[in-house]
Amino acid sequence: MSALPPLSPVESNDPVEVPRRVALVRPDARPSIRRSSDKFVMAYPHLIIREVILFQVVVIFLTIMALIFNAPLEGIANPVETPNPAKAPWYFLGMQELLHYFPPFVAGVLIPGLVVVALAVIPYARINLTAGPLWKGSDEKKTTLAVAGVASVLVLFFGGFQCWAAAVPTAAVAGAMFMARGGSNGGRWKQAMARLTLPQWIMTWFVVLATVLTIIGTYFRGPGWSFVWPWTRMVHS
Amino acid sequence: MSNIPPEELLLEDDDPSRRQFMNRLGLGACAVAAAGAGVVTLDFLKPKVLFEPPTKFKAGNPADYTEGTVRFNKEQRAFVIGTAGGVFALSAVCTHLGCITRYVSDEGVIACPCHGSKFDLEGNVTHGPAPHPLQWLEVAVDDKGELVVDTAVGIPHGKVFRV
Amino acid sequence: MNTPSLDSLGLWLRGTSVYRSIVRHGSTETNRNRSLIVFENLFLHVHPVKVREKTLRFKHTYWLGGITIVCLVVLVATGVPLMFYYHPSVPQAYQDMKELKYVVDNGIFLRNLHRWGAHLMVFGAFLHMLRVFYHGAYQPPRQFNWVVGVFLLVLTLFLSYTGYLLPWDQLAFWGVSVGTNMAREAPVIGDKLRFFLLGGNAVSENALLRFYVLHCVVLPVVLFMFLGVHIWRIRKDGGVKGPSEDAPDVFHEDEP
Repeated sequence: MSALPPLSPVESNDPVEVPRRVALVRPDARPSIRRSSDKFVMAYPHLIIREVILFQVVVIFLTIMALIFNAPLEGIANPVETPNPAKAPWYFLGMQELLHYFPPFVAGVLIPGLVVVALAVIPYARINLTAGPLWKGSDEKKTTLAVAGVASVLVLFFGGFQCWAAAVPTAAVAGAMFMARGGSNGGRWKQAMARLTLPQWIMTWFVVLATVLTIIGTYFRGPGWSFVWPWTRMVHS
Repeated sequence: MSNIPPEELLLEDDDPSRRQFMNRLGLGACAVAAAGAGVVTLDFLKPKVLFEPPTKFKAGNPADYTEGTVRFNKEQRAFVIGTAGGVFALSAVCTHLGCITRYVSDEGVIACPCHGSKFDLEGNVTHGPAPHPLQWLEVAVDDKGELVVDTAVGIPHGKVFRV
Repeated sequence: MNTPSLDSLGLWLRGTSVYRSIVRHGSTETNRNRSLIVFENLFLHVHPVKVREKTLRFKHTYWLGGITIVCLVVLVATGVPLMFYYHPSVPQAYQDMKELKYVVDNGIFLRNLHRWGAHLMVFGAFLHMLRVFYHGAYQPPRQFNWVVGVFLLVLTLFLSYTGYLLPWDQLAFWGVSVGTNMAREAPVIGDKLRFFLLGGNAVSENALLRFYVLHCVVLPVVLFMFLGVHIWRIRKDGGVKGPSEDAPDVFHEDEP
């Protein structure tokens, strides 16, 4: 390889004139080929018919909902009269419930911001790509200490703000993490739990917390954001 | 088939610094134009005239405010309160998330319906998530001797208007 | 009597030069023509011609992303007709709600459909995200598509939230008042952000108009752009990925 042949691009519309490219591949760097034993089917009709059916099912479901339930419409907006309680749409009620315990900056900006950032970086965090089941192949003592430590700090933190709606589910998820220990010879649920990795446990904790807070905010909060039972709330309104 | 000599088609830089300079100039011009467009758009989106209700309101004769009088101006979202030393005005907008608080005369507190905050009559937080006391508002007297409260002007907490 | 004549009408239609200029492929009985259906159609060509059979199973995706997209289609199809009766001004916006509810034929039905479709879309997007997470489908090469998905979720929430103000009832006004006061708590830019969003210091007519434009134009356009990338990347990254245990795509060295 002393002198490269002169580079001479050819401008032509004639494909025959365009020189063919030849690639040289070193024997130790052969391109890998993705092999799959999967069976392939034609997108039309197999996939497309399913999409059409999905469309129909969802539209029928929504139509029935729209025929049975009316969208809420209250009195005209009145800036001087705050309804009691004033509730956000359901997907923000978990956040509104947090606002009851934490300063607005924490509950309204910091926590949602952190959640979005945490979600966005999931695929770039090594642990999410490589983690194995929590109790498998790791030092059990170390894991026990870490889980118990983090869980008690979180429970104490939420408890310190008297936020039982977050403290209790946190403790419950930590309990479930310990239950999963050695669960590979238990029942179906226990086996499924034993397979969960640490990132999956964290996501589970987030989902449980968000669900509990949303349900409390939706059904268990009445005038002045006081705790009420859902049935008394119905009577109230 | 083209007859251009191959060496002329080769993208060889006889003056790389000049090319680089032109590239940067071009990119820089684009960046300046984009930044300018951004600034102009932001400025465009900023309302210049607001048709919002006047922030000053008349609160009556100072003599009406004997000690313990609490009057609530619904439209202006403000309490005007009489004390032994004078009169002060308190914003009724909850410092938590902007709901309108109410005076609960039975308990002698100002309560927010949204997230359960409670305030005493000087605006201090006594309960709930509100992070700050209620805002004190400027009180003045006009030439007819009537109290005028400006909801747009906040004053330091505890500055009672002496009549 | 009726059927054969319909059949022959169809046959005649398919033979006309107009039809043949629109649909270029022949009958769907050969695989070649079935491929042509997919890649000669603008709307279908986001699909590959062939898909793995296992990706069609219900438990592979639970069709959650599909549900979300169907909701989006329903929302556009109901939202545009609703716009014909809506003025983003105070108090006309609220009067329009009453008109839709009591006067316009099927107005209440369209509004209900729009409302419940929006709820289902938010719910479906959440569940879709959870499905993808637990199946490990964010793993390489799908990292970036996961991030696009997070953007789409946030956009969906913004869309739903801006739509929440439009009826201009007490629910809308105070929901948005409380929410925008939260933006105020953001450090440094909080107050300015809220001022820009509302076009004033309080939720007023300016805010209604801004939310209307965001809800009907700005956010949908952005959403559709991200959605285009999202769907395109599904295909570029090798199709939908299901439970991790049944999709170990291993790279094999080719035999020498």
